[in-house]
Amino acid sequence: MDPPPAPPPPQPPGQCRNWLELPRDVTESILLRLGAIEILTSAQKVCLLWRNICKDPSMWRAVDMRNPGDFWDMPYDLETMCRHAVDRSCGQLVDINVEYFGTDELLNYIADCSSRLRRLQLVSCHSISEEGLSEVAAKLPLLEELNISYCSYWSLTKEPLEVVGRCCPLLKSLKLNSKGHRRPYIECDEEALAIAENMPELRQLQLFGNKLTNDGLLAILDGCPHLESLDLRQCFNVNLTENLGRRCAEQIKHLRFPTDPTDDAEIHDNGSSDEDYPSGFSDIDNFSDDYGYYEFSGDSDYSYYGDIIDYGDFYFD
Amino acid sequence: MSSSSSPMQSTGRKLKLKSKDDETFEVEEAVAVKSQIFKYMVEDGVSNGPIPLPNVNGKTLARVLQWCQKHADPTITEDELNKYDAGFIDVDQAVLYDLLMAANYLNIEELLKLACMRVADMIKGKSPDEIRRTFNIKNDFTPEEEEEVRKENAWALGP
Repeated sequence: MDPPPAPPPPQPPGQCRNWLELPRDVTESILLRLGAIEILTSAQKVCLLWRNICKDPSMWRAVDMRNPGDFWDMPYDLETMCRHAVDRSCGQLVDINVEYFGTDELLNYIADCSSRLRRLQLVSCHSISEEGLSEVAAKLPLLEELNISYCSYWSLTKEPLEVVGRCCPLLKSLKLNSKGHRRPYIECDEEALAIAENMPELRQLQLFGNKLTNDGLLAILDGCPHLESLDLRQCFNVNLTENLGRRCAEQIKHLRFPTDPTDDAEIHDNGSSDEDYPSGFSDIDNFSDDYGYYEFSGDSDYSYYGDIIDYGDFYFD
Repeated sequence: MSSSSSPMQSTGRKLKLKSKDDETFEVEEAVAVKSQIFKYMVEDGVSNGPIPLPNVNGKTLARVLQWCQKHADPTITEDELNKYDAGFIDVDQAVLYDLLMAANYLNIEELLKLACMRVADMIKGKSPDEIRRTFNIKNDFTPEEEEEVRKENAWALGP
């Protein structure tokens, strides 16, 4: 008998199981939890059965390109990889999560191939422009969840949000998270007003670190009558006075206040830039001591549609 | 009349189950219905006599029922449940495999998810070769398929 090639943890005799005998859908369920990068670079190379499972379009309805964001250590061209993942979906893509990479070209490629997209998450995608966002919005009429977080250092102008609102009438969840600053003291209701005026069907809104004021908040409460969940953490310009506080409490089921704790948030550490911390401002004025960004995993109770993998409601065919 | 999604009160009624190696178990209905299979049986009123489970051995069934018991406990907190699950699923491969198969066969969604996540965690971060060794899987790629995979790796940077 040939000696084993390398010592794995030894299995007692009679304890070996044939993992290739697992029902196909169970193996699919396991492999789906790996994320696109691990599937493409490792899992699909294990054996023919896993390779065949990984080529099935049904494995690519949801593409999770989460990665640690270490560009200097990343041995892969994630943009090319993402296109490949989209190709594998054969038009069945309904959910995609792009983090720390991505260009307008990629975004257009995704939208051109996936008109049935329901959830789009763009986190720390610094090369994606507002124009790019507006352009793809028109191609995604079935979009229900949109997350544009930490994609630029300053607020969006109202235009892309207006276009999204107009082109995506089914939009129920919007996450527009950015880094919260107490200083410098800047107020801006442009995003809030664009949301209030163009997204009447929203059920969930997460505006971490937004510069909106009480006026913007009021507009949102008026313009989004179906809103159930509102996350205003680190929105330091919002001051929930008695009336406004009461209105929020009455209208919103799940409300997070500006100074609520952020310990359930994942921190995206993108490093700081001098623009964010002009000299003279101490980081004591920020909510935490980190220079990182806050991001909320899809598994938090604020994900309107739950895990990236559970898609019972998404498949209407 | 089918039961609603409200938590089942303890009616004291028990189900009898028989594993493939003829071990019998008695379990309260409220615990058993964690399995969709048993849930339908209870709702349709076909729960007389021991239910044979030819696909599950006694040891695995005992574990599964233990899990169901814990998860049917109304007094347990979410934190306690998470801790329990973490310990429960930290088992050797053969046990994990058997739990996976049982959870799938009995249609116990949460347990299946727990087991799948555990296997995925065992795969994460490993090279194909390491994965094969962990799960004792043979590399059966044909040269043609290997070439196809190599061509696809256009996303790899460097040599």
